[in-house]
Amino acid sequence: MQSLTLPFIAIAGLAVLGYFLAKSRALQVSEGDIRKLVSLPSQHALNAVLATIVPAVAAILLISLYVRLTDGTGSWFFQFVVIGLAVTGLALSLIGIKTETRARTFAERWILGLLIFASTIAILTTIGIVFSMLFETFNFFGQYDWRDFFFSTNWSPNFRGNSDLGIIPLLWGTLYISFIALAFAVPVGLFAAIYLSEYAGPRMRSVAKPAIEVLAGIPTIVYGLFALITVGPFLRDYFAAPMGFGQSASSVMTAGLVMGVMLIPFVSSLSDDIINAVPQAMRDGSLGLGATKSETIRQVVVPAALPGIVGAVLLAASRAIGETMIVVLGAGAAARLSLNPFEAMTTVTVKIVSQLTGDTDFASPETLVAFALGLTLFVITLGLNVLALYIVRKYREQYE
Amino acid sequence: MEDMYHADRAMSTQQDIKIKADKVQVYYADNHAIKDVDVEIADKTVTAFIGPSGCGKSTFLRCLNRMNDTIDICRVEGDITIDGEDIYDPKVDPVQLRAKVGMVFQKPNPFPKSIYDNVAYGPKIHGLARNKAELDEIVEKSLRKAALWNEAKDRLTAPGTGLSGGQQQRLCIARAIATAPEVLLMDEPCSALDPIATAQVEELIDELRQSYSVVIVTHSMQQAARVSQKTAFFHLGNLVEYDDTDKIFTNPEDSRTESYISGRIG
Ligand SMILES: Nc1ncnc2c1ncn2[C@@H]1O[C@H](COP(=O)(O)OP(=O)(O)O)[C@@H](O)[C@H]1O
Ligand SMILES: [Mg+2]
Repeated sequence: MQSLTLPFIAIAGLAVLGYFLAKSRALQVSEGDIRKLVSLPSQHALNAVLATIVPAVAAILLISLYVRLTDGTGSWFFQFVVIGLAVTGLALSLIGIKTETRARTFAERWILGLLIFASTIAILTTIGIVFSMLFETFNFFGQYDWRDFFFSTNWSPNFRGNSDLGIIPLLWGTLYISFIALAFAVPVGLFAAIYLSEYAGPRMRSVAKPAIEVLAGIPTIVYGLFALITVGPFLRDYFAAPMGFGQSASSVMTAGLVMGVMLIPFVSSLSDDIINAVPQAMRDGSLGLGATKSETIRQVVVPAALPGIVGAVLLAASRAIGETMIVVLGAGAAARLSLNPFEAMTTVTVKIVSQLTGDTDFASPETLVAFALGLTLFVITLGLNVLALYIVRKYREQYE
Repeated sequence: MEDMYHADRAMSTQQDIKIKADKVQVYYADNHAIKDVDVEIADKTVTAFIGPSGCGKSTFLRCLNRMNDTIDICRVEGDITIDGEDIYDPKVDPVQLRAKVGMVFQKPNPFPKSIYDNVAYGPKIHGLARNKAELDEIVEKSLRKAALWNEAKDRLTAPGTGLSGGQQQRLCIARAIATAPEVLLMDEPCSALDPIATAQVEELIDELRQSYSVVIVTHSMQQAARVSQKTAFFHLGNLVEYDDTDKIFTNPEDSRTESYISGRIG
């Protein structure tokens, strides 16, 4: 990408130049009386800047994509094309400055182009991710039987070959930990949301809501440390050991509970919004019939908000499934198929990381399996997200 | 018309006072919204509250079932009695009171539940039915009284929100009736309805008078004239004039009332 430094500097320089040139030229055309101009000098300047930047930057992105795909190198020819586009854009916009030029509407079109371009990038990236995963996953299944991958209950990679790469123990760990996390986060988050939206006064709310949302800002590695040094030993010494469930500090329970704490703000803040969106008329109707506040919440507000709450829970679930750090530090890295919640287990994401770190050879099934795992996970979370969106949208229709 | 008027007069004289308000003041924080209101509302009568927007009609109506308790900044002073019993007495549970004093709101607000569950909501909460058969009976009776039974009987399990606006409002009336109230408060119950639905609800209100004391807030003077026997005119938080409806509309005593009904203020 070294070869792109020069064009970027050149474009930036030309844009700044264009800004001032366009402004002074507009003033010159107007002969000092800006009322003669259809568009203001600053609008001409904006137009010139956009005309310089937008086509040139678009060209840079296209070219770098091309270079990446063909494995070629960026030559001086590309730099020439990019700078040429910027100069042409600048020149054309300067020449176009006349008293009756509608620079405002031109700028509008450039901005529209810019916005469309930005949204295309997001969509193309998603497609790109899926394709690169698909590609490597196909490679993997060329070397490893898909039935063994999906149905074997044993995970024991061996870098000398002949590994067992069954996804089931990993999926089990993922689902078990996510289940515990949600079983903790959903009731706590929901009750917190109900308290905040139905009972708390404005002052309490203005303190408590941001306080809960702080939890969402804590990096997951910090949660992981908390699991490792506090929650894990605590659970081991006070629950697992006395109850005869084992001696492991890393456990499904540790990771699940800490992940649950991480998810609380997720559930509570989405549910809070959804509960607030239930019209006051519903509450008045119920209170007016002689229902108490908690009867109203239980029988009218929560049922009315339920589809939205389910959507929030599903979004939280896909967060839980994709979480890695808390699992590594809280539940360990040993793949195991067990019902005991105080035993160490691990998840799909952790194994993706461990298969790709260290000495890796991107052609062996032991490495490529990471892509198959990733794609499986992606399909699961995508499914959950689609389901969540569908439910949330259906819920919206009810009140509008 | 003239005969009816006299008949109503004759009836109302022998009627008991259901609700009595004495020197009622309502404040929203520092805003003095209701000033010194005294009023006596008769049983088995439709009483209309009219007046320009913001004059406190809804506020006063909401005092009668203590719905104002649900607004934090709202403060009510003075005495309001129903059947001689002070409803602001600390011994009175506002939740129980609201079962006795039903309320229908400006915008139809059926719960997003089935038609049946909407009507059964109150009876279930207050334990009015001993079994499913009794509950069915209450639901049917309430829907019949609200003139909705024929339209709804084949779709009791369909959501109440799927009904038309007028049907929804009658469902809300059925829902209020189902808790066996003694008083029905209605806050502009027709303002979100089309003329045909309005006519149906007005007809219904006239029938409800047989069983309940009905208080209706309306911004339509025609409506007040059509459905009510007594009318109270509010202005800037004061109860300016309270009398028989015909008297208010033909021969008001206060000049403000006269200006309002002739369209000069409001
Ligand atoms: N919930 C509320 N909070 C604060 N002030 C209110 C509230 N409801 C009504 N008010 C005020 O009380 C006064 C009377 O309002 P309202 O009873 O709604 O009048 P009306 O129903 O006659 O149009 C108005 O000044 C209004 O601003
Ligand atoms: Mg009102």
